[in-house]
Amino acid sequence: MSGLRFHWMMPKGGEVSMTTAQETSRVATTKSDSPAALPDMQGWTRFARAAEQSGIESVLLSFSRYEPDTILVTCAMGRATSTLKYIVAYRSGLIQPAPFVQQINTLSGLIGGRVALNIVAGSSTAEQRGYGDFLEHDDRYARAAEFLTVCKNFWNGERVDFDGAHYRVDGGRLHPPFQAPDRRAPEIYVSGHSPQAQSLALSHGTAWLRLIDTPEKLAPVVAPVRARGVEVCLRLCVICRETRDEAIAAATAMLPDDDTEKQERGILQRSDSQTLKQALAAADERGWMNRNLYAGLVPYYGSSSITLIGSAVELAEQFIEYKKIGVTQFIIAGWPKLDEMRIFGREVLPRVRQMEGS
Amino acid sequence: MTARPLRFHWMLPKAFEVVDGQTPRQAARYRIESIRIESPSPKPDMDGWLRFARHAEDAGIESVLISFSRYEPEPFLVACAMGQETARLKYIVAYRSGLMSPTSFVQQINTLSALIDGRVAINIVAGSSAAEQRGYGDFLPHDERYARAEEFLAAANAFWRNGHEVDFDGRYYKLEKGKLHTPFVAPDRRAPEIYVSGHSEQSMRLAAAQGTCWLRAADTPESLRPSVARMRSLGVDICLRACVICRPTRDEALRVAQSLLPDDASESTIGLKNDSAMYAESHAKNEWLSRTIWTGLVPHYGPVWTTLAGTPDELADLFLAYKEIGVNQFILSGWPEAGEVANFGAQVIPRVRDAERRRVA
Repeated sequence: MSGLRFHWMMPKGGEVSMTTAQETSRVATTKSDSPAALPDMQGWTRFARAAEQSGIESVLLSFSRYEPDTILVTCAMGRATSTLKYIVAYRSGLIQPAPFVQQINTLSGLIGGRVALNIVAGSSTAEQRGYGDFLEHDDRYARAAEFLTVCKNFWNGERVDFDGAHYRVDGGRLHPPFQAPDRRAPEIYVSGHSPQAQSLALSHGTAWLRLIDTPEKLAPVVAPVRARGVEVCLRLCVICRETRDEAIAAATAMLPDDDTEKQERGILQRSDSQTLKQALAAADERGWMNRNLYAGLVPYYGSSSITLIGSAVELAEQFIEYKKIGVTQFIIAGWPKLDEMRIFGREVLPRVRQMEGS
Repeated sequence: MTARPLRFHWMLPKAFEVVDGQTPRQAARYRIESIRIESPSPKPDMDGWLRFARHAEDAGIESVLISFSRYEPEPFLVACAMGQETARLKYIVAYRSGLMSPTSFVQQINTLSALIDGRVAINIVAGSSAAEQRGYGDFLPHDERYARAEEFLAAANAFWRNGHEVDFDGRYYKLEKGKLHTPFVAPDRRAPEIYVSGHSEQSMRLAAAQGTCWLRAADTPESLRPSVARMRSLGVDICLRACVICRPTRDEALRVAQSLLPDDASESTIGLKNDSAMYAESHAKNEWLSRTIWTGLVPHYGPVWTTLAGTPDELADLFLAYKEIGVNQFILSGWPEAGEVANFGAQVIPRVRDAERRRVA
């Protein structure tokens, strides 16, 4: 059985040099004067080197109107690094599948194939309309399925003829191939909790990307996905300290001021994403989901801030628990960005590998 | 005559085109055959491109144009990678409207600008052959492509003019409260230069309405004079595409030109690549339009193969004649590209600059 794969969230622009968790909240990113609007090659390159040294396989670059374009940033970062891979988030509905494949294929050729895709069907309706996309939630998944079907036909290297409800291609042909040592097409992570997202992951993805939950709750949903040959990748945050008490103290210290809280809740409530709604509901019940899994930061830092908290041994054991139920990959974030990743690479990862070997 | 010096750009060679010891004919054949499935040119070639970029920077070339087609790597990505590894050279990236949302387009261009110090301009092409466009998912009839390109650029320009909130309600694009936080980043501009290519009346109108420069194939200064004057009076720059063959004697230049003619007199890539007005209306015959302007390759490969051939003095005179009628930029090609650009930088540009200085003084 192969080893668990660990990825990390790419920090926003300006975030690598920030020292407190509060500075890096979602609210700050969406402000128009946020440094997140600009590429931060210096900070990112420092982060990428630390990731490579920490045994992190890939970084995920998120897509939004508040940040630089993920495909271009990956190109610049990929040229500046040698082993780190990039999971590029992109939304279907913004570009025709053929030029998208041409961009991804060219990117693969420029950075040694170190690129995977995280296809997102869409975000808030308001943000999508700013991109010229007026479809509603359910239709976006139908379109994403067509989008990925056309993309795959191009990656199969055939002449592409497609006549769908959202896309039509007649005699499509692209000469630039996807270039990687071991693949003819990128890995595709499909994220989301809705039934549509799951079904899209099963039909068109190589991995279903979702938020972490307890192993008990995840076991019944992971098994059928694995049975269909699709991997499961969990999004989570990590706080690892020498003792559980120290880790809990670090989490508590992250609770922000009232003003930030109000703005954050506003953002979450305006979104029509199922993922966000579910996570917010979980956080409203009580903070702890089990001894190590804490949802108390969700109201302030967004749904992806469900956090695995504990000592290095506890965390390593938790990752093995997830492995037992069939989870194969994780995309992690921590605060501050660099420090938590270094702790993870030094303290947690070696213990996981040891437990995997025994 | 304007005081601004002429601006010289060059075509980025195809991938793996830059190799040592090529004859002009071998280099040109590689370009022509790059659309064949067995050509290595669809894969990026950073080593060759960077070697070319160094020659171009040394030669005093301002930018390279990266073309867009289904046969080659995608220009934004190539510009991003090249821009990381060059210091001065700028990149004119070709793009076809109709393939992507204007919001995403602006987000990509702005990100690119921030990554490479603003060294990016855009060449908007309304579309290529109908067959190639349908392969990209674009089924719009030829005549409507300019109307769509106009909307596309209007929406993009709205983002660049007012970063706050873009509402657009057109026939082809509709945006509601569009907002992007990543700005266009350049030392001296808040939006990229926009080259609009074509020969048609529509392309001229589009360049004037939404572009900064009208890009077309070279012709004689006499035939270009009226349209150039009209466009300049509308505040639009004029950029000519041409191939260059510069040799110490005119005879040598002519011999190189003749060597580029295909063995098969019926060889043509025009239908494959383009069904635009630019191709239909161009010189369809092999002839010398003047002592230095040759259209021998145009019937086979299209108007951008219009060739300026001669000695350094003859060519410098020709560029100054273009400048006299109001042309202010050129995008050139040569065979082989690296050799010709070095030659051009050493022989032609200094003569042009000398003359420009004399005329200003």
